[in-house]
Amino acid sequence: MNPDQPILFLVEDAFWAALAALGFALLFNVPRRLLIACIVCGALGHAVRQMLVTQAGIALEIASFMGALVIGILGYLMASRLRAPAIIFQVAASIPLIPGAFAYRAMLNLIRLPNAESAAGSVVLGDAAFFLIRTGLILAAIAAGIAFPTLLFQRRTPVHD
Amino acid sequence: MTDQPIGPKPQLSRDELADINEVALWAGALMLSGGSETDRIEETVHRMGTALGANWLDILVSPNAIILTSSSGEEFRTSVRRVPILGVNMRTLDEVNALSRRVTSGELDVHQTRGELARISRLPRYNRWVVVLLVALACAAFARLFGGGLTDMLVTLVASGAAMFVRQEMQHRHFNIYLTTLVTAFVGASLALVAFRTGATQTDIPLLSSVLLLVPGVHLINAAEDILKGHLVTGMVRGLLGAVIAACIAIGMAVAMWIFNLEII
Repeated sequence: MNPDQPILFLVEDAFWAALAALGFALLFNVPRRLLIACIVCGALGHAVRQMLVTQAGIALEIASFMGALVIGILGYLMASRLRAPAIIFQVAASIPLIPGAFAYRAMLNLIRLPNAESAAGSVVLGDAAFFLIRTGLILAAIAAGIAFPTLLFQRRTPVHD
Repeated sequence: MTDQPIGPKPQLSRDELADINEVALWAGALMLSGGSETDRIEETVHRMGTALGANWLDILVSPNAIILTSSSGEEFRTSVRRVPILGVNMRTLDEVNALSRRVTSGELDVHQTRGELARISRLPRYNRWVVVLLVALACAAFARLFGGGLTDMLVTLVASGAAMFVRQEMQHRHFNIYLTTLVTAFVGASLALVAFRTGATQTDIPLLSSVLLLVPGVHLINAAEDILKGHLVTGMVRGLLGAVIAACIAIGMAVAMWIFNLEII
């Protein structure tokens, strides 16, 4: 995967993200008629994020929010078109955005911590905190991006008996 | 004050209200255990209950139970139903959603709705081997997204496929969800580390990709959605559940590293 060739890079990125979304859609038992929609959401959301990160140099947190926003809007549109709950598309499609590598680095540093010397300990702790916080921020960005369209369009007036 | 029931709907007997409660709670329970966000459960249960004849329903969704009170004129009834946390099942959510639409349009009565719910709760899942294959391919795709080569992808494919098989076997035997997560992560990480030890791969990409099948994505997204929509208690609990599952993944991986005596790649 070479970011120097933007179009090829993004097409390949979208392909692998689509495969990841499909696998999780099956794990979550998404009905067959909705699988294509999940794949499309997953591929576009991840490709948008990677485009922003590699081409525009935007921080992963903000790019994740934008990618999730794409998934949220697409999921919302597909939900009304296919008459199914939006969450079906949004959950499977947002799995490729989850920062697995950051969570892993945070974990590695945390298990190193008990054996670290006091001088090295502060470095290890710093690394653990760094990756843990970024994982949390990216997860929050994904969730906010997905929920945003629903919050915007699905307003309900309070009802009384 | 008059003796007339409030609203245009006919007064229901206590038994009729009990039937409505049972059906509406069943629909809500299917949604909660299948992984729906709280807001949608409340809305669907309310719609179904009022469409079936109740004047009003108040619903309280807690992380593992649903409480509802339905009323018709002067009559009211309250029911509670405990809901076990089961695996995510989007097909159930889709079917209950379609059913709620049919009930709201007046197509089905209480007994027909109960029959439909019985059908929905017996719907089959995908063939387990298809799931193993596609989940393994998904993890291999992650390995590629993290910058891995073909060998990394193949190692991830085998390791995560075996991990998914173990997970299915443990779920089938109703093992505790945390134990299942821990053992599955251990199996996936161990196989990836075997490949590392034999020199098949030089990176830690297979190690971190092989456990991604355990990511509690639905819990975390539902947590955020619930909190943003004002259901703070269910949101907090779901977030905590996601965090504990993530910790179990980490412990499973750490145990595998310790057994393979690997001082961190």
